[in-house]
Amino acid sequence: MTTIKELNKKKVPVVRIDKSLNKYSNVILFPDKVEKANEMLRTIGLPKLETRKQGK
Amino acid sequence: MNQQKYQLKADEILSTYEFLSEEPKGKILKHIQFTPTNYHDVFNLAFGDKDSNTGQIDDKVISNNGDNEMVLAMVVSALYALTEIHPEAWIYATGSTKSRTRLYRMGITKYYKEVKTDFQVFGEVNKSWVYFEKEVEYESFLVRRKIK
Repeated sequence: MTTIKELNKKKVPVVRIDKSLNKYSNVILFPDKVEKANEMLRTIGLPKLETRKQGK
Repeated sequence: MNQQKYQLKADEILSTYEFLSEEPKGKILKHIQFTPTNYHDVFNLAFGDKDSNTGQIDDKVISNNGDNEMVLAMVVSALYALTEIHPEAWIYATGSTKSRTRLYRMGITKYYKEVKTDFQVFGEVNKSWVYFEKEVEYESFLVRRKIK
């Protein structure tokens, strides 16, 4: 797994780990949205990936 | 992204993020969360404000703090962070209202030039997925890091 030290060297934001936020790690803060996502997955699924590149 | 950023803090598994919006109407604590769905490697993205009185996090509130672009930049930043450790992940996002969904579209459009170099972006139209295009209304969005 990528470490935070490695992560911050890359083209990604500087994210500071705050252990006080670990209390949310196993809590679903937005249950309605997750339900919508699961409904989407059940009814539509994921895109069929094509080899062409995405346009402008 | 050149957008000046607030300090982004995250839990140790980079699933929940927090930052402080500090513009005109005062400080508002905002949370971004990527939640696993029933499908492997598909996460739901949502964000909202923490009510300083109740401690509840609300994704329907319109704080209108004059820093929408900064907030969207933070969400994109969190997206980069999550997909750095979950490069195969699909990220699903939809607004709690049509106006919030429009805000998501504005955010993708604003950073699209940069985002499309690193992500595949899809929009939902009539119960199917199409490649994202600017100026098109979508019901929801799905993004995935490009494999390089």
